[in-house]
Amino acid sequence: MKLDTRTLVLMAVAIVINIVVGQIAVWLKLPIYIDAIGTVLVAVLAGPFAGALTGLLTNVIWGLILDPGALWFFPVSVVIGLVAGGLARAGWFRAIPLTVLAGVVIAVLSTIVAIPIIVYVYGGVTGAGTDFLTAYMVGIGNKLIESVGIANLLQNLGDKVLTVLVAWAIIKRLPSRFTSGFPFFRYSQG
Amino acid sequence: MAAAKDKDREKTLLYVPGEGWLHRLNPLTRLTGLGLVAVAAFALPPAATIVIALVATLMGTVAGAGAVFLRRLTLTLGPLALALFVVHGMLMDHPNRFGFLGLDLSHDGLMYMVKILGRIAALLSGSLVFVTTTHPSALLKALDSHGFPPGVSYLIASPLLLLEPFTQRARAIREAQMARGLDLEGSFFARIRAFPALLLPLVTLALADIDHRAQVLDGRGFRARPRRTVLDAPKDSPRQRLARRVMLGLAPLLIVGAFFWH
Repeated sequence: MKLDTRTLVLMAVAIVINIVVGQIAVWLKLPIYIDAIGTVLVAVLAGPFAGALTGLLTNVIWGLILDPGALWFFPVSVVIGLVAGGLARAGWFRAIPLTVLAGVVIAVLSTIVAIPIIVYVYGGVTGAGTDFLTAYMVGIGNKLIESVGIANLLQNLGDKVLTVLVAWAIIKRLPSRFTSGFPFFRYSQG
Repeated sequence: MAAAKDKDREKTLLYVPGEGWLHRLNPLTRLTGLGLVAVAAFALPPAATIVIALVATLMGTVAGAGAVFLRRLTLTLGPLALALFVVHGMLMDHPNRFGFLGLDLSHDGLMYMVKILGRIAALLSGSLVFVTTTHPSALLKALDSHGFPPGVSYLIASPLLLLEPFTQRARAIREAQMARGLDLEGSFFARIRAFPALLLPLVTLALADIDHRAQVLDGRGFRARPRRTVLDAPKDSPRQRLARRVMLGLAPLLIVGAFFWH
């Protein structure tokens, strides 16, 4: 599948948005990653393939320049791009209620993909804040995979719902002169 | 001014300039080596992964990146070791328990902790050898000279070049919004409310540039054929090509070997 030049540029800018927005969350000391806004933007404007490629390259570039550990989570970003694009095709980004639901679906599916990576590669912990909840869940007698799943789902729910809402707010502010160049976006207009 | 900007961009990267043999290798050789380390980290037993991590760290230190290795390995492995110790050493129901300094620990849990730490240390140090000795532009030239499509090269190169200007733009927006009274240190909800004030101008400005950038690229005919040649492609040699083939051949053998070993 060949992407046009405008989509390529959008993807390159979206990759940078993913990385820099994560930095803004750090400035505000927010306990969220919010590192997929660019991926969701591309998925809604240009489709699931472009969204998935943006997610993949975000993790590769992030891994190459800032945090090599980010490389191993690329399947999660690919799934976020694919699912967001698929839901956009189904019209879930037309209004806020369905957009929130899209965030929930993305959170659940990205958690399902993240669990094997966290459990098999990292032994169930990643050195991040969610480890406290994972340890607590294990401590009260849950299995490791369940504990990792619950801890990450709770964190992901807030993170991904906020991500799609921010992406939605940005998309709705874009002038039609800009969005008219992205035919896939017609599925999110209504 | 341009030099200062270049210096800022270098700070964003983990790359450490150097002239040693590791730096002189073709980036694709190092990339293939990283792929082999990634396979080995999962296929080999803990003692071997620890040896890989130590060798990679030694190579990085000799290449002049010792400080980067020390910082990254400490920041990543420290919290991970603590979390693994609590979850697997103490809390999980692993067998072979024993008492130590009043703690109820599991021998098997601690061995599992060592296995995971060895694997992560090997993956991390292998990645660090690659990123500290490979400048992104050298990787791009290597990809270009081996016939990768220009669209792929653009998608890797452009974000690396845009990252520093965007970070500076985000800082400028933060300063401007703080001057208008934006509270970055308030309550959780105050900080959540501050998020759009920092984010929306940044993203809107970024998207506003897209049409112009696309027109410039099309005007240059960057996808035109015949494809451009790289005038200063990273050096390659028959030995390195052979080494890459050997590494690519070793990877499936390791996977098959690990399957039987387990």
